[in-house]
Parts: sequence; structure tokens; C-alpha cells
Amino acid sequence: MSFRQPSVLPGFELTLGFTTFFLSAIVLLPLAALVLMTASMHWSDFVHVVLSPRAVGSYRLSFGASLLAATINLVFGFIIAWTLVRYEFPGRKLLDALIDMPFALPTAVSGIALTSVFAENGWIGRYLEPFGIKVAYTWIGVTVALTLIGMPFAVRSVQPALLEVQRELEDAAETLGAGRLYVFRRIILPTVLPALLTGFTLAFARAVGEYGSVIFIAGNLPMKTEITPLLIVIHLEEFDYKGAAALGFVMLVISFVVLLTINLLQAWGRREPVKAAR
Amino acid sequence: MSITLDQVTKRYQGVPVVNDVSLEIGDGEFFVLLGPSGSGKSTLLRAVAGLSGVDHGRISLHGRDVTHLSARERGVGLVFQNYALFRHMTVAENIEFALRVRHVRAAERRRRRQELLRLVALEGMDERLPAQLSGGQQQRVAVARALAHKPEVLLLDEPFGALDAKIREELRRTIRQVQRELGITTVLVTHDQEEAFALADRIGVMNLGRLLEMGRPHELYTRPATRFVATFLGAANLILALQTKDGIRLGDTSVTLPTAGPPHGAREHEVVAVVRPEEVEVAPARETLTSAYLARGVVEEVMFTGALQRMRIRLEDGAEVAPFAYSNGDASAYLEVTRTQHEQRAYQVAPGQSVAIGVRRVHVLPTPLSSFTACATSETLTDALSRQALLVELASRMKTRISTRVEPRLGMPGAARDASAAFAGTTVIASLPDVAHQAEWLLQRGAEQVLVLPENAPAPQRVLIHWADEPVRGPTLAVSASVLRHVSAEAVYVGILPDRTPSAQRPHGMRALLDARSEAQAVHGLEMRTELRFGDVAEQLARRLGEAPGQMLVLGVCNVSGLAGRFGSLLDAARWPVLIVRRESEGPALVSAISEPSALAQS
Repeated sequence: MSFRQPSVLPGFELTLGFTTFFLSAIVLLPLAALVLMTASMHWSDFVHVVLSPRAVGSYRLSFGASLLAATINLVFGFIIAWTLVRYEFPGRKLLDALIDMPFALPTAVSGIALTSVFAENGWIGRYLEPFGIKVAYTWIGVTVALTLIGMPFAVRSVQPALLEVQRELEDAAETLGAGRLYVFRRIILPTVLPALLTGFTLAFARAVGEYGSVIFIAGNLPMKTEITPLLIVIHLEEFDYKGAAALGFVMLVISFVVLLTINLLQAWGRREPVKAAR
Repeated sequence: MSITLDQVTKRYQGVPVVNDVSLEIGDGEFFVLLGPSGSGKSTLLRAVAGLSGVDHGRISLHGRDVTHLSARERGVGLVFQNYALFRHMTVAENIEFALRVRHVRAAERRRRRQELLRLVALEGMDERLPAQLSGGQQQRVAVARALAHKPEVLLLDEPFGALDAKIREELRRTIRQVQRELGITTVLVTHDQEEAFALADRIGVMNLGRLLEMGRPHELYTRPATRFVATFLGAANLILALQTKDGIRLGDTSVTLPTAGPPHGAREHEVVAVVRPEEVEVAPARETLTSAYLARGVVEEVMFTGALQRMRIRLEDGAEVAPFAYSNGDASAYLEVTRTQHEQRAYQVAPGQSVAIGVRRVHVLPTPLSSFTACATSETLTDALSRQALLVELASRMKTRISTRVEPRLGMPGAARDASAAFAGTTVIASLPDVAHQAEWLLQRGAEQVLVLPENAPAPQRVLIHWADEPVRGPTLAVSASVLRHVSAEAVYVGILPDRTPSAQRPHGMRALLDARSEAQAVHGLEMRTELRFGDVAEQLARRLGEAPGQMLVLGVCNVSGLAGRFGSLLDAARWPVLIVRRESEGPALVSAISEPSALAQS
């Protein structure tokens, strides 16, 4: 097999070289260092750090809240994208620009802002308090923060796909007797499903790695509102580099498994119509 | 009747895109809505399907009023230009979509699908995806899908638009065949006149949101009632001619031709004649022509198009022929000619050759507006007037010309400069402080329509109609209808009763109003709103015109003397265009002779 590929842009060898170099320097080498660092630990030490109740509690919160946040973003990201694509209203452009704000804001700033709003005496927190709902310093707060920072990913992934759903398809389905729900389920959803999954994946990946915004609103109680990235930082502050590396390794493996699963799901979904076409 | 539309109007941001369309389509009929893009034909089709609501009017399918039903409840079959197939579904799933929605059992669905695939000649394609089919095949699937639930009406929105010529013709045949086999009432929207001719039982021609004419293809082609239909359905040479007692006369060559239209009264006046390119004969000399001689001309261009030869012939200078409507002040008037192979063999022509031109057949349009003449006291003024945007726009839409005429004594007592030259067509004068006197002067000297045009007048969005004298009602309506066919505006008849009208007589006023409305609708296919006002006529009209910008007035009068006195306040330095229509009160015969019988009323 030849590496030569006909292409509009010249310089395949050069660009492949750069790609490999950058991927190695920025992604692969640090990850390899992480694995090596972990590998230099004794097995019992590793198990001790990784399976300590405090660590397990942090996994549960990190991945649980991230999944929940990504799911929320899946639903509301779709609705927001739908509104922006389908309706013409004053201030639409402004709203569209606003979506990207969480991208640009330093995460610490969003964390502090969220905390002040959702604290017991904050604008929203004070109205939730009488119902016994505490947001700040609980797992709910963590989810809220993760939802905020993941939202742009969900919206921006779905938007172009929704633009592609032609109005005519819906019109056609309607004249053929389909109700709105049916049109949504059978026409719109199948068309945007891959984009929805991509948005979900991105939002999830972002949430798992998030640190800055969460530590302000989480309260950081061990076992309860302590996320794994924070636990890693705590290990680092105690100069326990190996323990930090071990936790990082576990996060790496879990994230990899989750993302791989979603990607496989997507690939399977793409293959489905082709199989039907045979 | 399968489909009945009653005064359907659809506005988009205040502008009517479908304007008072009334239409009846019979069971099993193949009806083609033909019009240029933006004429409102697709909007009308979507309204019938229930995909867009209407602002006014009613829609019935098989006698059932469906105006307020959703597309789902109407259940018509609709085929789109870009197929609109569900790309993630197979052909089978696409076709069965409507049946699945209706919870039809699998076996029955399969049976129906096989039947439809056979009908559109796509057997065995069940499991393909739309992306694996050619454009023509995809459109066949779309047709099959639209027919699956056995709709009573099939609507096709430019179904051949995205296909190339060969496939187009094949699919056209399939659709015609399917339509015949099922006997399903079908409406097809297109901008392609050839397609319309090939498929239609009846054609309805739309422009600017209005349904201008409808009829069988042959009728519409040979006897159009409007310029638009004459030029949109095939090519047409529009020629300004003179209607005389004996027939119509083209230019000074005193030749009368048999006309296909109804006789137009005794009065001599300018008319618009349609000469189809294939009705023009060319010969070496006048003597060798087998048809009525028109003029000599020089062949400018010869084009070979397969079966037919197309030519452009420029009429020779000095040929005393009525100016061609198209020429618009340009001295060179072209005539479009097509000849068959047979004619070509009999007499070969080449560019540059001088030939004698004959006309075999002429059709006179029943339109009262022929050409425009900008008239003022000096050449500078006439030139400026003839370049007014609104006038130029009107003339180009009417495909007519604007000539100029200098009258130094315009508005002053005494004869016209050249008393023998009548004021033909519509005379246009600028809105000046003493314009009412000028208008009176022109009308007294034989002008039949005078357009008072203020500087930089915008295109009218509303045309107000009023006649001061009852005998001129017919002509006023005819002129109004003709104007409204060329501008996208709504028509409002303004009736005015004197202030002192006793209340017992007010119902009479209302009666006159409603009579006028039904005449407009019946004779001209013109839908108009009516308003009743009380007070002085000129004052009320001026007030109404002043209420909003973009309004125009069509004013009918019989009695010319004293016009300046009666309407001076309305006309002098007017900020709005006023088209004055004058006809002598010669009794009802004249009225019916001039009024424009619309094809809508005939069918």
C-alpha cells in the first residue's frame, strides 16, 4: 500500500509528518509519561490509592454528574438549536452569539458566578432553599456547573444538522398524514441523531475534564462533593505525584472506554441504512 | 367540482402574493397553473395542500370546505420539485409512509406498494435508498409515495424542474399516463409553457398573484385576452394597429385583415394586435405574397433551431407601418418570424436580404390601453416626462412604447398644432398647477385616456376607482382591470354620495356599489373592495388619496366640459397619479363594445 494519496492540497508527506509530530508531542508523550509514572508504582500502592473510598466516591461524582450534564445538554441543546435555526425573532443573533460565552469565559469566573447565584442567599438559591433544595455545595451544583460549560458543544453540534433538515420533508410527511410527533420521531430525529451523539460526546468529555468552575460550587467535601480532578490536585499538593498519576490513569481509562463506546454506537448507526440498502 | 377556490388571497408582509383567485377544477381534470417565478402559483398550490393558510377566501375539495383544515386532514398528494424523499428510508419505506401512518397492515401495504411501483415503472427497486436512484427515478418514487393513500387530488409543484430534458419528457409521459389510469384530479405548477401545452386539459396563467386567464391550451394560444398571456404562451409580435369599421388596419398600408376577435364598435381607435411568428410570411416581392401585405423589411438574423427556422426582420425605413409595441421609441422595429423547413425550401433567405412581409392572421387584444404618449409644451419637458420611472415601468410591463408629442398650446384655447393627428392611446401629462385645464384640453381634442403623472410617483399599491358619470362605468372598469393586471396592487371602488343624500336614497348608493363590484368580477375577473363616502366628489377623492402614499386613481368621466372646474382641486399639482378615462355617452352599445371581455368570464 502506498502512502501517496491524490489530493487537492499538496504536501501529503509534510502534513502527515507534522500531524504525527504534534500528536506525539502534545497528546501521546504526556499520556505515555502518565502511564509510565503509574507503572512505576507497586501494585498494592496502586490499588490502595485507586480503590480508596474517597477515590471511588469522586469517580462516581465525576462521571455520574458528567453523564447527567451531557444528557441535560442533549435535550436542551437540541431545543436551543431548534429555536435558533427555525425561528426568526428579534435578538436571535444576540442569543446565537451568547451560546459561545461559556467557551470564552475563564472557568473559574463561571464557577464563582454560579456559586453566588445558587448559594443559599443567592438570587436563585434563596427561592430554592424553602423547598429544601440546595444547589451550591452539593452534587446538584456540580451538575449545574458541568451543564453550563458543556452546553455550547451540544448546541453547536446539532445546529448544522438541523439546518439540513429540509422544511419540505416535514411538509411532505404532513401531507402524507403524519402528526407532529410522528414527523419528529421518524423524520427529524433520524437525520440529526449522529450530530446529537457527537454533541453528547463532546459535552461529556468536556465535563469529565472540568476543574475550574466546579471547585467553587462543589464545596469539596470528601466522599460527597469532591470530583476526581480535585482529588488529583490534592495528591499533587501533598507531593504524592504517583498517587496523582494513578488517579489520572483511571480517569483516562474510563473516559476512553466511554468515548469509544459512543463512537462505536455512532458507527453502527451509520452502517444501518447501508445494510438496508444492500 | 374537485377543487373550488373562491377569492383566495394570501399576503406576505402585507403584499398580496396570491390576489383574489377564484377557480374551479373538475373531476379527473389535469389543470396546469402556468406563470413566471414569483407569480404566486406555488403559493397557491401550497394553500390548496394546506401547507400555508390563506388570508381571505375559501378552498373546497369535493364540495367539502377545507379552508381551515390542516394539510394532514386534507390528505392531498403532493410532489415537490426536489423530490423531498426521506433519505434515511428505503423506496419501500418511503412509499409506505402514508400507509404506516394510517396503521395499514403489512400485507396490504406491500400489495399497494407493488401496485404503485408497477404504475411508475420502478418494479424491484423496493430496497434501494433514494441516494442510489437517479433524479428521474427519485421523482417517480415521490409520485408513488404521494399516491399511496389514494388521495382525491394530486398536486405537483414543478416536478420536472430538477431534471434534464430527456428524462423530463419520459417522466411527463408517465405522469400523464398515471393520471389517466387513475382518473385523479391533478394540478401541476410550472413556468414552462411547453410542459403546460403537453399535459394540460386546461391552463390557468398567473402573473403578479392574479389568475389572468384560463382555458384550453389551443384557445389560450390563439385568442389570448391579455398582453401577458399573448407573450408568455409562445412568442408574439405585439403591434399597434388601428381598429376601423371594416376591420383592423396595420399602418398606412390600407390593408384590412380578418380578425379573430369580436368586432370593436364603429369608433376608430388604437388597438394592440398579436401576430404570432408563424403567421408571418416572407416573399421576394409584394406580388408574390399569398397573405395580406404588411411592409418590406431587412432580414437581420437567421437562426437554425432544428425543425424551425427563426428570423428577426427589421422593418425598412419609410415603411409606413404602425410602430411596434416592443420598440419603445427605438426607430428599429423587429419582427420575430418562424418558418418551417417547407417554407425555407420554397424561398431561401440570408441576413441582409430585403423581403416583403405578409401577415396571415391577426388577433386583436381586447385591452383598452394601447400605447403612451408623453405630451408637454416643449421637447425638454416631454423628454423628462417620458423618462419618469413609473411610466417607463408601466410601459415595459405592458410591452408597449412611449412616444412624445410637443403641444406648445397645451391647455390654451385654440386648436391642436396638428388637428388631423388624433391623440391615440393614453396621453401622459406632468402634474402641474394647471394640469386640470390641460387634461380638459386634451380630452376635448379626442384623447380617450389622460394620465396625470406627478414627478417620481412610486408604483401604486392601491388603485382607487371612481366614475363621475354612470355611462362610463364599463370603460373605467376595463381600464382599471388592464392597469391592475400589470401592477401588484389592490383595487378599491370609491362610491361617493352627496352630503345631503336623504337616508331613503342611501340604499341606492349601496346598490350601485354592489352592481359595480359584480360587473368588475363578472366581466373583467377583477376583484375589488368597495367604499362608500359622503360629500363633494373631488374633495372626498383627494382626501382618500392623501391618506396613504402609493395610491393611484382611475377616474371615469363623460362630460368633459367643466372638468377643470369639477376636479381642479383633485388634479392640480396632484401628488398621486390620476388616469382619466373619457368616453362619449353614446348609450350602452359603446360601453359593451369597449369593455374587455375576460377569459375568466367566458369559461
